[in-house]
Amino acid sequence: MSLTFENVSYRYPGSQQGLHEVSFDIGQGELVAVIGPSGSGKSTLLKLVAGLETGYQGRIALAGQDMAGTPVHQRGIGMVFQSYALFPHLSVRDNVAYGLALRKMPAAQRHARAAELLEVVGLSDFAQRGVQQLSGGQQQRVALARALAIDPRALLLDEPLSALDASVRGHLRDQIRALQQQFGATTLLVTHDQEEALAMADRVAVLKEGRLLQIASPKDIYDMPNCRAVAEFVGLSTILEGRVASGGRVDFGFAELSVPTGTHRPGHKVHALIRPEHVEPDPQPGQTNTLQGRPGACRYLGSLTRYDFEVVGAPRAFLAEGRQPARQAIAIAPEHIRLLDA
Amino acid sequence: MVRGIAIVYGLYLLLPMALLAIGSFGQNWTNTLLPSGFTGQWYMELWSDPSFRKGFVSSLVVALSTCAINAVLALPLAYSLHQGATRGRAFAARIVSAMPVAVPAITLGFGYMIVFNTDTLPWLGSTPLLVAAHVIATLPYLTNTLLTDLRHLGIERLEQAAATLGAGEWQRFSGIVLPSLRQSMLSGLVMVAALSIGEFNLSNLLVGFQNRTYPVVLLQAFYGATGFACAATVILLLLASLAALLSSSLLRKSP
Repeated sequence: MSLTFENVSYRYPGSQQGLHEVSFDIGQGELVAVIGPSGSGKSTLLKLVAGLETGYQGRIALAGQDMAGTPVHQRGIGMVFQSYALFPHLSVRDNVAYGLALRKMPAAQRHARAAELLEVVGLSDFAQRGVQQLSGGQQQRVALARALAIDPRALLLDEPLSALDASVRGHLRDQIRALQQQFGATTLLVTHDQEEALAMADRVAVLKEGRLLQIASPKDIYDMPNCRAVAEFVGLSTILEGRVASGGRVDFGFAELSVPTGTHRPGHKVHALIRPEHVEPDPQPGQTNTLQGRPGACRYLGSLTRYDFEVVGAPRAFLAEGRQPARQAIAIAPEHIRLLDA
Repeated sequence: MVRGIAIVYGLYLLLPMALLAIGSFGQNWTNTLLPSGFTGQWYMELWSDPSFRKGFVSSLVVALSTCAINAVLALPLAYSLHQGATRGRAFAARIVSAMPVAVPAITLGFGYMIVFNTDTLPWLGSTPLLVAAHVIATLPYLTNTLLTDLRHLGIERLEQAAATLGAGEWQRFSGIVLPSLRQSMLSGLVMVAALSIGEFNLSNLLVGFQNRTYPVVLLQAFYGATGFACAATVILLLLASLAALLSSSLLRKSP
């Protein structure tokens, strides 16, 4: 079932925070991750879909049906909370079967269904336990099974991994993605962790101050951000201010570099985005876009070293990654410099 | 330092109790540090004294009624206070929690004496008035216990989760809120019972002769034989301690 947002606006009473004219849709079985800094309105979006907040303008539709008049408990939308929100007085099995009991499914049937789902999330042995006896990761898997048990028309994941240890997070991330695909659940994931969003989502939506800046595949969001804010929020980068010169070159003040200028006309102000993995250390003499300088701060990260490279005359250091930091010079291939409107 | 204070505190707390227990079995106790002789006579007398048996029954009736009314009032009160508090209106909740400290029982008692000793409201000395006074005095304790638990559980999150799974308002309250509070409700009620059984200030001002509660009758005993008074006090002590112990062990078991 598809989930559609059409010009959705919402304002929290007495504050500037909210959503402004947000429009996008999520296709059947698709996982869209919404990322953005805190206060960007991403959690609000989730609450509006669930029906936990009401009174928005615009339209939110599930499979073409407007949700505005439907109260939370009739929406049939599964939700997984950051804090798990498992019912402490119920066993693991009864937590999973809770939604089915509300639907008046006979006990034998719903226990069988709960057992199936616990099998799927790998917690069959824990069915009779109290939820307090489980680890955070296990609790979140129970929460996921509980949300999937009701055969949700859409699945909402509210920062599902952020309360967990890093060691558990990676594994659970893969597991959630696999289950989401297995169940073909139309899913909206809200997270502040851009790595999580890139790794899990079919498409990523970037929200800032209540506005949707860009929605695209993880690769396009990373390689082709449509504005400086998206580039800064997703991945690491060096962003330089410059002015388009003639002959496919951009003047940055301290240097003039060859860049595919595309539709940017000479004289236009632009921002140039350079990802750290595209900075080539100590190039052959005479290579295009070579910049002289010296290495600054280095962070050894095991598989690679992330370092600052201070180019002579540049207003800020270039962020670079590689096995070894550059000693005297760096080069950036023209196709790896992306121009954004200033 | 801390240990010293704890020891002194313990002595002051336990010594009178120990002396009461010893005294209740002593034959003679006048102007000496410890009583002389050993007897079970005082307990026998207590058992056969109709005014004490009546006081005992009165106390139980008042305590149970207080618990029943508290149970009905405290849950919706705590629930709505909690919802109000999460919306930023914590003031009402604060008043409820501060009330037992801010308004001493004796103030309440004198107020009732004035209001209910009139021709229009001639209820002074009646059991319902006494129960009402006990409810007013103990309600904040139960409400606070429930409020703490509501806060600790993060009940709104649980309700939201239940709602997305298909629970309507009443199903959320009866299926999630109520059972989640089961343990703190029980422990709070036992505490209320303990407070009500031991309550003296209010009861002494408000009871009639026919419905005197146990602590009020007990005061009379101190005008008679010391051993008898001791035995009567020990019974009260046992009752209240039992309730308090039960209450705290219930609370510890709750998640």
